[in-house]
Amino acid sequence: MKVVLQPALVLHTRAWRDTSLLVELFTRDHGRVAVVAKGAKRSGKRSGSGMSALLQPFTPILCSWSGRSDLKNLTACESRLAAPRLVGKALYCGLYLNEILARLLQPEDANEVLFTLYEQVLQQLAQGAELDLCLREFEYRLLIELGYGFELDVDGESGEPIQSGEHYQFHPDYGLTRAAPAGHARASRYGGDDLLRWSAGEFDLPARRCAKRLMREALRQHLGDRPLKSRELFHVH
Amino acid sequence: MSFSPLIENLVDGLRCLPGVGPKSAQRMALHLLERDREGATALAESLVAAMTGVRHCQQCRNFSEETLCSICRDQRRDNKTLCVVESPSDVMAVEQSGSYRGQYFVLMGHLSPIDGIGPEEIGLDQLQSRVADEDVTEVILATNPTVEGEATAYYVGELLRADGVTVTRIAHGVPLGGELEFVDGNTLAHALSGRREVGIT
Repeated sequence: MKVVLQPALVLHTRAWRDTSLLVELFTRDHGRVAVVAKGAKRSGKRSGSGMSALLQPFTPILCSWSGRSDLKNLTACESRLAAPRLVGKALYCGLYLNEILARLLQPEDANEVLFTLYEQVLQQLAQGAELDLCLREFEYRLLIELGYGFELDVDGESGEPIQSGEHYQFHPDYGLTRAAPAGHARASRYGGDDLLRWSAGEFDLPARRCAKRLMREALRQHLGDRPLKSRELFHVH
Repeated sequence: MSFSPLIENLVDGLRCLPGVGPKSAQRMALHLLERDREGATALAESLVAAMTGVRHCQQCRNFSEETLCSICRDQRRDNKTLCVVESPSDVMAVEQSGSYRGQYFVLMGHLSPIDGIGPEEIGLDQLQSRVADEDVTEVILATNPTVEGEATAYYVGELLRADGVTVTRIAHGVPLGGELEFVDGNTLAHALSGRREVGIT
């Protein structure tokens, strides 16, 4: 199978053999694809030079590949847009996004909406938008795109609107459901007023904390028990 | 057809070398058996000796068969400057440039969450205590100009700046003898944003 000039974003690159790179791509029409870039680490004015600069994470590229097996051969690759320049904490956020995408995306399962969302969130991070808001928005829409979406202002079990003053818990099948008054541990309860403020676009500190816990719990269902390594980066600072 | 067990073992063993597949491993094994038994025996001995003898230097984490490597033991080197690099081959590269006389710290990798490598795996607590114990005044971050290298540099920088040390990052841009036409856009953008006033060296 041959694919030509496919828009893609680089998720991860690792060295392979002496001069090649093994690259995980998120492509627009083919989803997650793993390719080998032969000779990409070779320097000089021959073919392959400059390729390793393009194959850095977050870089928007156009790439062509061929091959039948799971691992394709990258035959050509060129720059599509300027790479978003992520610095400092925005860079950690980018690495976090790449880690969850690498774990959640199924190989060759195309999702153009998610591709666009990912490209947009990288631009937002690079332009200095509020990092946690970018991440929460992306996480929420990622869940929807993967088919695990839920409403933030509706009780998923009874279908009633979320009430301020009530407490809710997260259920993997229904989304948010009314929590028994005392039964649930505090850490997995979400205040109705926090949820309502969040879904109305009022991002104050308690609403942000609530959204962060909620997204973390919702994603954990799909990420498995192995902890995310990129979260460790945020701990020190 | 298959070889006798001893040869089979040798072929399998050679495949642990990077870039060596079944075919090249077989060629190597046959070459050693046919033509160079002496060299092969010497290789086997030095492999065993190196695998049992080589450890990590306690100070810089580079490979060394002694507690402290030759660079860390060298009294003439500047103990106040510390250069942080990703791998032992980076130490060799910086040494060969002949322009650095300070000490090193080898991370043996870079932060790469997807590969499961976080701050603990690259020995940052050891770096932090070394900087504090030895009164280091400047730490030069010479990790690779890759996304993971930059993330590592930023993380180490934030960690050490909190301890009041001057932290610098190596410059990157157009290679010597290169031509702008052949330099990729990202590198050129870096070179432009890191430009300097003429006359200031």
